[in-house]
Amino acid sequence: MCIVKLLSKLTLFITLSKLAIVVLFVTLLPSLVERIAFQYTNYYLQEQKKKVLKVVARNGVEFYLGGEQSYGSYTMLKEEYIALEPASATKKLDTIGTAKRIVEQDTLTYRILSYTFKYHNQNYLLEIGKTTATINQYNNALQRVALYVLISLVIVTLLIDLSFTRYLLRPLGLIIKSKLHNRKFPFNEHIPPIKTSTKDFKYLDTSLIQLMDQINDAFEKEREFTANASHELMTPISILQNKIENLMLDQGVTDDMQHRLIEMMKTLNRLKKIVHSLLLISRIENEQFAKADVIHPNVLINEVMEELEHRLAEKDLHFKSNISSNVTLINLNHDLLFQLFYNLINNSIRYNKPQGSISVDELYIPNELYIIMVKDTGFGIPDADLDLIFNRFKKSNRSESEGYGLGLSIVKSIAHYHNLTISVESKVNQGTTFSIHFPIDMVKLKG
Amino acid sequence: MKVLIVEDERTLAEEIETFLKKAFYICDLARTAKDGVEKIAINQYDFILLDLGLPDNDGLVLLKEGKKYNANAAFIILTARGNLEDRIKGLDLGADDYLPKPFSLLELQSRMQAISRRKFGINAQLISIGEFNVDLQQRMVFHNDFGIELSRKEFDLFSYLLLHKNRPLNRMQLSEHIWGNFADDDYDSNYIDATIKNIRKKLGTYGSVDWLETIRGVGYKIKCAS
Repeated sequence: MCIVKLLSKLTLFITLSKLAIVVLFVTLLPSLVERIAFQYTNYYLQEQKKKVLKVVARNGVEFYLGGEQSYGSYTMLKEEYIALEPASATKKLDTIGTAKRIVEQDTLTYRILSYTFKYHNQNYLLEIGKTTATINQYNNALQRVALYVLISLVIVTLLIDLSFTRYLLRPLGLIIKSKLHNRKFPFNEHIPPIKTSTKDFKYLDTSLIQLMDQINDAFEKEREFTANASHELMTPISILQNKIENLMLDQGVTDDMQHRLIEMMKTLNRLKKIVHSLLLISRIENEQFAKADVIHPNVLINEVMEELEHRLAEKDLHFKSNISSNVTLINLNHDLLFQLFYNLINNSIRYNKPQGSISVDELYIPNELYIIMVKDTGFGIPDADLDLIFNRFKKSNRSESEGYGLGLSIVKSIAHYHNLTISVESKVNQGTTFSIHFPIDMVKLKG
Repeated sequence: MKVLIVEDERTLAEEIETFLKKAFYICDLARTAKDGVEKIAINQYDFILLDLGLPDNDGLVLLKEGKKYNANAAFIILTARGNLEDRIKGLDLGADDYLPKPFSLLELQSRMQAISRRKFGINAQLISIGEFNVDLQQRMVFHNDFGIELSRKEFDLFSYLLLHKNRPLNRMQLSEHIWGNFADDDYDSNYIDATIKNIRKKLGTYGSVDWLETIRGVGYKIKCAS
């Protein structure tokens, strides 16, 4: 289905309907004008008849006949004629019809009124005729004028309609522009209500504002909660950790107890990591990180690998970075970008197969795009899970008990914070590729 | 060495105290900023461990205040806030180090030792262990004046064990020291084992390394009579 703006639809509708009126009128006009002309002629003939009868009533029929058997008269160009003659007593007529008459060798078509009347016991037939040619002589001119008037009226009303529709719909456009276009979540900046006298738009506008405020409130609360909760959790974790540490150093602790303490500490470490990650996400969402660092992607990947290299040996993984040193990225936060690539590469180590490989590649088209891809030959992610992996604590069906955890949520938060887009391609048992697309205004070519 | 622990969470302060006492530090506790300032004004401390979220005042204010009375003390900020601004502000105000909560007590002691070396010039440059001498400044191990080079991570691990000698350290604690928050127990303990193996191999060619003990199922310990 074709999706069109309301204004365009209305414009189209108004224009088409006016056009339809014009077409209808143009097709009907000739017959209409003709009919009017005929009706007028009939009326005219009736009036003439009345005049004749009046004269006859006043001056007698002899006024016309003047002693002759019949009377006839026509105008100079035979457009009209009048005839009066005696008729048989039984004849009775009062009609208007179109018929041919011969006037001085010319055969002409007339509109003829025939009327019989009695005068001094004699029946007379009165005929008043008018050539059809004269009846229709003004038709063309009339039609033209009517057409001109109509077209100019249509154009004027069309313009008025269109500008008024435009004026009426302006608030809607403003609502869409200010409330919906280019709004980025969270809706921090407050946009004032639209001024409009249309109740529906007012309602739409206030509803939208309310809705966004509600979303913002909910988001704000969640954010605050995460920050507070993480902070409040740190202290007890801290106490527990230090207590366990002191216990482990205690002389009286047996080997068996030592093992249990280590298990406890491992669990506590897990908790610590989750809280750390939540805190990090909430800080990113709170925009607590400056975006002013300059990053050389090849250096960054090397830094990440310094922390991760030792984990490659475990599964005998092969790592290769094909990032050139030509590109510099600006307006980013170094620590967050480090974390982003750390999490991606760490995942590709964690979910890789023995003797698998990991590669980091770049795709750079100057002034168009810059993409860094982290590719592994690991287990892959089932299609059904691809949409879920960035969600917090989303459990997948994979055999690992821990699911995807928070690592990719952090990646998503960091990417979103920097306006980077991530895409994932994955084939089960073949591997996964994460692509990070950088906005081109962040990319500078090393001079 | 005298330490003031300014921390409103009593249990936490006590755990720090217990740990540091074993390492022969003398500890004082303060639970509020007011209490802290009073103690700093009266006594001279070598270390002041400072929690930022105190009930009556911000720890950063106490840091400024405390510097007036104990200019030579080393201030270490301990906080659960852990945001970057606090860290920068704290270090700008003259704090010597910054440990985000939750921290390991071993890590705290290691940082305090580092500050001691840096700031007070205390602790002999050379620590002897078995037939070896360790120079923490130069990050070198010597055997009869012959320098044996260890990689960065090998030396980190070695010196950490040395600092906490006679204490069993588990793999988790060791990897946390090296990778901090990035440590991942499932993946890093093998590396710890491999690194220890390397250290034994490198030093073992010159002399006995029996003092570097493996504690089965737990981790490692440097045993040292002194």
